[in-house]
Amino acid sequence: MMLCVKDISLSLGKIKILQGVSLEAAAGELYVVMGANGAGKSTLLKVIAGEYMQYQGSVMIGGKELKSLPIAAQAHTRAVLSQQLTLNQPFTVEEVVSMGRYIYNAHLSATDKEIITYALKIMQIQSLRDRTYPTLSGGQKQRVQMARVLAQLLEAPDLQATDYTGRKMLLLDEPVTGMDILHQQLSLQLAATLAASGVLVVAVLHDFQLAAAYASKLLLLKDGRVYAQGTVEEILTSAHIKNCFGVDVAVLEHPHCHYPLVVTAATGGLFQSPALKALKVL
Amino acid sequence: MNITNIKRVSSITILSVLLIMVILLATGTGAMHISGMQVLAILLNKAGIHLPVAYEENMPGVLWMIRLPRVILGVLIGAGLGVAGASLQGLFRNPLADPGLIGISSGASMAAVVMIIVQSALPVFQHVPVLNFYVLNLAAFAGAVITTLFIFRIARTGGQAAISTMLLAGIAVRALCESVTGLMTYLASNEQLRSITFWSLGSLGGASWQTVAGVAPFVIIPLIMLPRLAPALNLLALGEREAMHSGVKVPRLKSLLVIFATMAVAAGVAVAGIIGFIGLIVPHIVRQFTGPDYRILIPGAALSGAVLLTVADLLCRTIVAPAELPVGIITAVIGAPFFLWLIIKEKRTIPA
Repeated sequence: MMLCVKDISLSLGKIKILQGVSLEAAAGELYVVMGANGAGKSTLLKVIAGEYMQYQGSVMIGGKELKSLPIAAQAHTRAVLSQQLTLNQPFTVEEVVSMGRYIYNAHLSATDKEIITYALKIMQIQSLRDRTYPTLSGGQKQRVQMARVLAQLLEAPDLQATDYTGRKMLLLDEPVTGMDILHQQLSLQLAATLAASGVLVVAVLHDFQLAAAYASKLLLLKDGRVYAQGTVEEILTSAHIKNCFGVDVAVLEHPHCHYPLVVTAATGGLFQSPALKALKVL
Repeated sequence: MNITNIKRVSSITILSVLLIMVILLATGTGAMHISGMQVLAILLNKAGIHLPVAYEENMPGVLWMIRLPRVILGVLIGAGLGVAGASLQGLFRNPLADPGLIGISSGASMAAVVMIIVQSALPVFQHVPVLNFYVLNLAAFAGAVITTLFIFRIARTGGQAAISTMLLAGIAVRALCESVTGLMTYLASNEQLRSITFWSLGSLGGASWQTVAGVAPFVIIPLIMLPRLAPALNLLALGEREAMHSGVKVPRLKSLLVIFATMAVAAGVAVAGIIGFIGLIVPHIVRQFTGPDYRILIPGAALSGAVLLTVADLLCRTIVAPAELPVGIITAVIGAPFFLWLIIKEKRTIPA
């Protein structure tokens, strides 16, 4: 098992963020974490990324205890795309993407440069290569960061040539925020391609359609606990979504879609949720 | 060869050439004028290369004993201030950071001012005047290092120095140091006051081969080590978390940055007093031409700091010759308007 999280709990100050969360994810999976705001999704991802060392429980990555892995070994095994990155110094796009190769070489080798160019190409930002980062739009910035993370993950300038099974993990915290619909699709296709090469991809997503279309497994978090985990069909039911998000939805089958479609119910039905009922009263 | 490499090679080459020219000019200028070619001929003569350039008999003496140590001291201290400023701006992820922010200057001033007052009270120092100079230098160096380590220590929690705590602790400790300095100034006699004022404005007047030898290792070690930290500093610009994700040992990086920056500045402060503005503006000037990449910025800041202080010292010993202005006045007079211009220019290009 590439990632094995067993009964982890984490408190920040006096607030319990995660309580007894367990999950198992294998190499080659695209494991999607969903849940309402504040359910603990980002924190779970940060624990796996090695940011909080004060958690209780155990996190095993590729069979090794996370706490025993040095920073360099962690960086060789997993790459992370976090939320809310701020970079206000005018680095060029190429410089930012090159930073992804830090762990491999102090000075960029020919392979490093090929991988950087490849990552720029995959994220369709070659034309932005010499632009400075602060002048980009939100979605473009996100694509640059994705390219940087890709540069850290890849060992060759090709997505399919290398078998990464059991060696690489990619953590994505709301990776498509701010992207247009085309690049949302492209980013998740990229994640799926990486998964096909053996990378374990763990992604926090908010969009049911993206999750349904690409996830190989889904985890629903509620109030810092695992609410449910399983396949897309098992998890994306109107009852689960109602319980976790407080919204009435209909889960539909579409003749040309291989995945369930989650649609919010018509306005009348929506007002059955307590929060919105309160609004109606006002 | 991509744009980054071209920028790097060309800016480092231009700055190196500029530094050599400034050194030749500064060593040649003074009460006795020595032309650039003559300076070159005298210097190369020592290395066994004889240029067909005529010079007067007493020129080598003036050059070797008076001009050169002072110019080299300026180059070293300027380079130290430049790299320290660049690294601290990277550490704090704030372009307004300078060596003063972590207490280097205020700690050094406090210790030096206390020493100036104490020295005249203790008879030992009057009998051995040489001791005066060294004790003052040592005290200033110790003051800088202790203050910085103290601030760093306060900010450390769980093996990590929290940057925001460090800034706040820096403000408090600086205020404390300045109050002690203020008290000493209040207690000082007229003669001590002159010495305090002169010291707090900085001067390279005390330069000799001995001071050069004293300062050199403290500046040269950071000059070698800080460029090695440049790739990690680049990642730090993305944030501490991203740096960690990418494989940077962030706590170690922060400690090394503070240690090397303090080394690079403290020895200089100890022999030449407080020279303001170089640590702050030099990285900004370099960034205008090279961009924010620390792999270019750090060597660029070393070279530019050296150029700027050499020029400032040349001005301060020529404009009111045979008297001398404190060099801190010149660096502030050049630095402050330039900095204002930079701020106004940046305000125009970067939307709020």
